[in-house]
Amino acid sequence: MTWISNTITVFGGLLLAHACYSAQEHAALQSFRAAATSTLTSSTPVASSLPVDIAIETIAATLVIVLGLVLGTRPLRPIQWRVWAGKIEREGEEGFLGNNGEVEKDYMGNPFTYLESRPSFVDIRRQRKEFAEWIKNGGGGTGKK
Amino acid sequence: MAPSLLFNPAKLPPSEALQLAQQAPVVLQGSSSPSETVDQWATYENLLLACLRTGDDEAAAKCMDQLEARFGPDNERVMALRGLLSEAQAENNGELEAVLKQYDAILEGNSTNLPITKRRIALLRSMGRVSDAATALVQLLDFSPTDAEAWSELSDLYFTQGMYSQAIYALEEALLLSPNAWNIHARLGEVQYMAATTSGSGGGSQQKYLAEALKRFARSIELCDDYLRGYYGLKLVTTRLLKEQAKQAKQTDDGEFTLPDPKTIERLDELATAKLSEIVRHSTLKDRGWRGYDEREVAAARELLSQNGIER
Repeated sequence: MTWISNTITVFGGLLLAHACYSAQEHAALQSFRAAATSTLTSSTPVASSLPVDIAIETIAATLVIVLGLVLGTRPLRPIQWRVWAGKIEREGEEGFLGNNGEVEKDYMGNPFTYLESRPSFVDIRRQRKEFAEWIKNGGGGTGKK
Repeated sequence: MAPSLLFNPAKLPPSEALQLAQQAPVVLQGSSSPSETVDQWATYENLLLACLRTGDDEAAAKCMDQLEARFGPDNERVMALRGLLSEAQAENNGELEAVLKQYDAILEGNSTNLPITKRRIALLRSMGRVSDAATALVQLLDFSPTDAEAWSELSDLYFTQGMYSQAIYALEEALLLSPNAWNIHARLGEVQYMAATTSGSGGGSQQKYLAEALKRFARSIELCDDYLRGYYGLKLVTTRLLKEQAKQAKQTDDGEFTLPDPKTIERLDELATAKLSEIVRHSTLKDRGWRGYDEREVAAARELLSQNGIER
């Protein structure tokens, strides 16, 4: 899907560049004409507003660029508690990948797991014993990794 | 995906804890650079815990030295980690007693040292002196009643002793402090359900526990969409309530507690079944966006569903 948004953005950029170029050309032409006419009759000031089509092209180009950028954003983060919590449970880390494909820095899973793991009260001796048992029983197949 | 060193490794399965501990040489080598990063000390602390768990005392001691060099031996958190280290390396009861005496000595000097107080309670519990641990924990909660973690520990302590009503009370206190914790709501529901299954007195208290558990599980689902644990509990409770209602037709209007009417319970039951089978189906197929569930939990849900399929 990203190629669609990229194409639209690039297209908008081209339009905008074209509008700028047209405006610049128009201004150059106007000043040239002013210079030419002032030598002939010095009394007629030339109204030098941009033609409507250039203005329209500029606005349209801006809108197209905005559309392309909006289409290209990642899905927004949920702002409802239950949706956000559900996303953590359902998708785990995969739901919180940043643009570079890595888990976002501020992702921490369920922020309340500490109430069940209780790190300040950890029983390190039991953990060690359990780990030794696990090693003894073959390490679940991944012990040699 | 490899586990991150930024989080406490207590809940990880042994294989992942081992993976963490094996990162020790790399992390310790990188430590010589003078600039500090934001996550550096959290990494060290968690690495220390992982190394202790996997029995890599050498790397643990190195982590400890780094932490002590940075924060000084008088830092309360460093003191607790130091205590943890000596607890882990103690080989017999005598040495454990010595560690305990050390804790007592520290607390003599500064009785508001929370990390050490907590270590002392954990050590007492680990040594099997559960009633001492409970007394100390209640004292701790007396002077620091806003500590949700301590309330939760107290609840677990009572729970292992089979004192369900006290465990439920402590969990409710923890919930008061963190009312959005969906896992604690589910935990409270589980404890209440277990209390209901063991209270043999029948009738009154059992029904009350079941009604409360139903509410807790419903709340945990309200706080978290597609919460497997919540739906599992809901399914258990509704199944049981429906069975009991079939057995004893009308005994529910005591007035003291309100059980929802049978139709609501039936609909809740259907909802839980539908949701559970949806979750099980998606996670078995490893669908995109459904891979966050614990495999063991999914297996348990599958078993529950198949059991119910047979009973019907």
